[in-house]
Amino acid sequence: MIGTEEITTIVASSLRLTAPLAFAACGEYLAERAGTQNISVEGMMLGGAFGSVAVASTTGSATTGLLAGAIVGLVVGFIHGNLSHRVQINTFVVGLVLNALVLGLTSFLIAVSEFDSNQVAQVNIPGLADIPIIGPLFSQRWPMYLLLLLIPLTWWLVERSRWGLNLRAIADNPQAADVTGLKVNKLRRQALLYCGLLSGLGGAYLATAEVGSFNMNMTAGRGFIVIAAVIFGAWRLKGTLIGCLVFGFADALRLALPALGFELNSQLLVAAPYLMALLAMMLFASSNREPRALGKPFVRGIT
Amino acid sequence: MTDDQTDSVPREAPALELRGVTKCFGPVVACDAVDLAVRSGEIHGLLGENGAGKSTLMKVLLGLVQRDEGTVLRHGERVEIPTPQAAVALGLGMVHQHFSLIEPLTVWENVSLGEPGRVKRDEVCDQIKTVGERYGLPISPTARVEDLSAGERQRVEIIKCLRRDPEVLILDEPTSVLTMAESQELFEVLRDVVAKENRAVILISHKLAEIMAATDQVTVLRKGSVAFRCRTSTTNPRELAKQMVGREVSLGTEGAALGLISEDSTPEEVQAAAEETPAAAPATTPTGEPTTPALTIEDVVVKGPDGRTLLDKFALTVSPGEILALYGVEGNGQATLGDLLSGLLEPASGTVAVNGATVPLNKVGSLHKAGVGVVPEDRHRSGVVLDMSVLDNLVMTDLGRVSGRFLLKRREARKLAARLIEQFNISTPSMDTPLRNLSGGNQQRVVLARELAGDPSVLVAAQPTHGLDVGAIEDMYARLRAAAARGVAVLLITTELEEVMALASRVAVISSGRVNGVLDIHEATAERLGMLVGGEAA
Amino acid sequence: MSQDAGGSAATAGGSRRMPNIAQLMRPSERSVQVALITFVAVAVAVVASMFLVAATGGSPGDAAEALYTGSIADTAAWSETLKAATPLLLVALGACISNRAGVFNIGQEGQLLLGAGVAAYVALHLALPGVLVMILSLLAGALAGGLWSGASAVMHYTRNVNIVVSTLLMSFLAIQLVSFAVTVPWILQAPRASADSIASSESAQLPPEVRIPGFGQYPALEIGGGLIVSIILTIVLAVLLGRSRWGFRLNMLGLNPMAARHAGVRAPWLGGTALALSGAFAGLAGAIILSGQVFRLQPALSNNFGWDGLLVALIARSRPIAAVPVALLFGALRSGSSFLASTGVPNYLVDIVQALLVLAFVVPPVLAKVRSRGRAEATPPPAEPVPASTTEPEKVTA
Repeated sequence: MIGTEEITTIVASSLRLTAPLAFAACGEYLAERAGTQNISVEGMMLGGAFGSVAVASTTGSATTGLLAGAIVGLVVGFIHGNLSHRVQINTFVVGLVLNALVLGLTSFLIAVSEFDSNQVAQVNIPGLADIPIIGPLFSQRWPMYLLLLLIPLTWWLVERSRWGLNLRAIADNPQAADVTGLKVNKLRRQALLYCGLLSGLGGAYLATAEVGSFNMNMTAGRGFIVIAAVIFGAWRLKGTLIGCLVFGFADALRLALPALGFELNSQLLVAAPYLMALLAMMLFASSNREPRALGKPFVRGIT
Repeated sequence: MTDDQTDSVPREAPALELRGVTKCFGPVVACDAVDLAVRSGEIHGLLGENGAGKSTLMKVLLGLVQRDEGTVLRHGERVEIPTPQAAVALGLGMVHQHFSLIEPLTVWENVSLGEPGRVKRDEVCDQIKTVGERYGLPISPTARVEDLSAGERQRVEIIKCLRRDPEVLILDEPTSVLTMAESQELFEVLRDVVAKENRAVILISHKLAEIMAATDQVTVLRKGSVAFRCRTSTTNPRELAKQMVGREVSLGTEGAALGLISEDSTPEEVQAAAEETPAAAPATTPTGEPTTPALTIEDVVVKGPDGRTLLDKFALTVSPGEILALYGVEGNGQATLGDLLSGLLEPASGTVAVNGATVPLNKVGSLHKAGVGVVPEDRHRSGVVLDMSVLDNLVMTDLGRVSGRFLLKRREARKLAARLIEQFNISTPSMDTPLRNLSGGNQQRVVLARELAGDPSVLVAAQPTHGLDVGAIEDMYARLRAAAARGVAVLLITTELEEVMALASRVAVISSGRVNGVLDIHEATAERLGMLVGGEAA
Repeated sequence: MSQDAGGSAATAGGSRRMPNIAQLMRPSERSVQVALITFVAVAVAVVASMFLVAATGGSPGDAAEALYTGSIADTAAWSETLKAATPLLLVALGACISNRAGVFNIGQEGQLLLGAGVAAYVALHLALPGVLVMILSLLAGALAGGLWSGASAVMHYTRNVNIVVSTLLMSFLAIQLVSFAVTVPWILQAPRASADSIASSESAQLPPEVRIPGFGQYPALEIGGGLIVSIILTIVLAVLLGRSRWGFRLNMLGLNPMAARHAGVRAPWLGGTALALSGAFAGLAGAIILSGQVFRLQPALSNNFGWDGLLVALIARSRPIAAVPVALLFGALRSGSSFLASTGVPNYLVDIVQALLVLAFVVPPVLAKVRSRGRAEATPPPAEPVPASTTEPEKVTA
């Protein structure tokens, strides 16, 4: 029996599960529009999650924790940017190693630490919050509203700002952009900082707004789902966010179905978002909109 | 060393002056104490062959590279140019070739790229319209660059430059992508810009004809230093050529390499000149009877990823022993044809036959197996693997020859490589040196050696002399002729008219993806070719 | 232009060119530089890890001692190290193949587990002589891994799906698949001990006759059959990659796909089989862990062997022979880590050390290359910038 109450729960749950993805997706979207592809999003999110919980526990303030998580993500982005776009190490290798390092570090540290649970405040908009089905939209932890601001900001940054114009230029033709006077690798590093900041925020949201604590490897591959979302969205923000919603919804279903009385195999449910991401990429991965220089290193003078 | 023929009457300080500018890259001296004075109201030609230092000098002026010694003066005052933005601020503007436009972006976005500050769309669009009207360069600000033709793209480049109100415009080999008519238009625009607004233009070129026609003052660079400077009106092509190369230049192949052929020389004159040099005449079949064409391309249609037609029912035949030049302005399908014959793409329809046998184009490597060797336009992209050794690059297309069923036969490979290195005069420390370390000319020799080693029936040479110095160019011409003399059908894809005149026995003109006419070299005047290139019948 | 130190002329008479001993014995300035920086980097990695241990209340000395005791202190420890090194080496070998081809497979964890799962199924259900079953189960495991990564190849070459992301997602799927299989009696779940006991999420134990034999017996030095297989495969692969037509073309494909195509290399075929092979190696690794070490399928069998094997390949720069000592090192770290718990230091320390080691080995050579380029302010720029054909305005309207 699926009544409005169940649907509302699923909607609420979907939103909550989509949010961490959406934060990171905004970051990775900008990064890929700048021509960089970073598989270290996973590490950024995980690091952000851990950082937020650790700082929230020490300071007692979940908000400070949230901020700290974002900064941890920023640091990871900084390291990735410098290793890939200054020292010119293959970006996949860097991403892989950073993920491993962050996983190792966070697992190590959580094993030797005890953190209090801290969650950020919930903000309810009275009245609106009670509307069935879409009500949950107005009864969220406050960072969700931050997300709603970050989305148009990201769009504006990429499509309308000077910085975004530069990023789009280097993504298509780094040699030409270089000749025009743009500093290609510096711009790429900046894009990675933004990606790190937002991905860290996404992980921090997961830890402090959703769960309230840190578990080993709690991001569990969400970073890769985000990358799949960007591909699924054909490098447009709208499509990317829809992708995140779809995956968040799948995750929500997984949690909701048993409660609703559907006895579905638990492994199938866990696998569902990943399966969906794969199918989405197979059906929608068109290379036409892919930035031409995506993932390619840039060194001046050598074609 | 120099022949300074500037007026004795003292004038205002030059708009831009370089004194003793030197730039070294490690042991290589790219610019050696260069003195250059560019005055307002003039078009100043900077002439020199490839490798003479013109590009480096301009990079110094544009802030892309820092000079080691010397000073730069602007209206008599010393200036520093640490970044491209600084160059712009000083009034130096470069009109780039096809290296500085971002295709998916619109015209106005490209024009405002690289500037600081907020993006002001309306302002920029208005400026584009204004500047366009003033100089006769109409272009729609909201068009996407990827939809524009080569000539239109150059307009965007010029507008981008002019909009910043430069005192000195620098144009680097601007006519390589233009038809003759478009080149004329360009020079008129430049005259306009220079005379009416008292700006200065530096025109960089390796083509003598262009320098003679379009400039007021010319400076010749040779091996990094100034060899000669004078008023254009007081000199002649032969003199300039001599200064460029450092010795007397015959009108033959060297002349061709230097762009010495003017529009007025008839093919007979050129052929006669070419025959001055031994073993120069293009081969013809001894009996004059028709033989099976070595290469037959029929009705080939290739579409780009966005649906645009790149080759439009392209058809061509090349006979054994002849050099057929495929001449046309860049961007009309040559690169696509080159890729097709390299086996890098498949046509939507049409056939290619070698010695009468159709080649299955959907099978990778079938063209090479059928006997088509290719020296590609961009060797770094599809011709060589830079990080592999010279040896590896020499054997990579014919591994079967130097291997057993599974394993490579090292000894055989080294023998073959040694033979090719000697035969083709490839200068390298050892055959194990990474190809990356070789000069451009030697890398090109490696490609040619490898492709010819496969004993092809057809050799496709796409812009084979691009970026090479005179010595390497002459060498390339000699080898192409030698190959033709041995019976190889040579398809020379080129944008250099002089090369056509010097090498080919027939010339086909490519325009908009199809062949717009095939002429015997004796009938090919620059005029007729020009018309064909422009898309008209001749 | 000859800067050779030993007079290696590349001209006539090349067939009898003497190997340039002088050059071999006098490493270039740059490789000395790289070795030095690498040494420093490794030292930094070690010191940083020690610092981490100390900062979180542990004792670096105890930790180091525990690692030593667990990894190489005695034959028992060595046995564990060799056991751990075996799957690491296999996964790394597979990664060497795909990396060389320019294909970046990161799904080894799932491919490995799947290989183990399929091997378990074959081992437990096939009624044939023991040795035959063992061999078949190993092959089946390899095949399973190969097909799984091969699926990613198909997705890439037909639908242009990003290989990095797809191999990873497939890896997650594989893990769920195997987890599922051990909860279902009709696939792999072990039958209950009695009517009252709970069904466990693991398979039955492999009977002794289908296990991989070895030499020696714990706690004396034990060398598993799997290790021997790995060493043999290492040598075979080293020869193939270095000296065969296949290896040459693989290298070409990885370095310049367009030039490779011109030379007749079919990228979907060569790249696809490279990817499939790398999955097969991972699957084989899983099968060997199952049949040679743990003898029972549990979802935790993969135990990060897939990830760590990838790191081994990175440090070894995709060279099979170099992968052997690195795999041994990582194997030592892994077996040592099991002794860490008693010192109060979480064994994740080893993961951190491993990641830092990868950085220590991967960064210096690239750093040296960049610095030498910077010193000459890039090689003298080509006389005429060669126009990249991709930017050419090949516009022809129909």
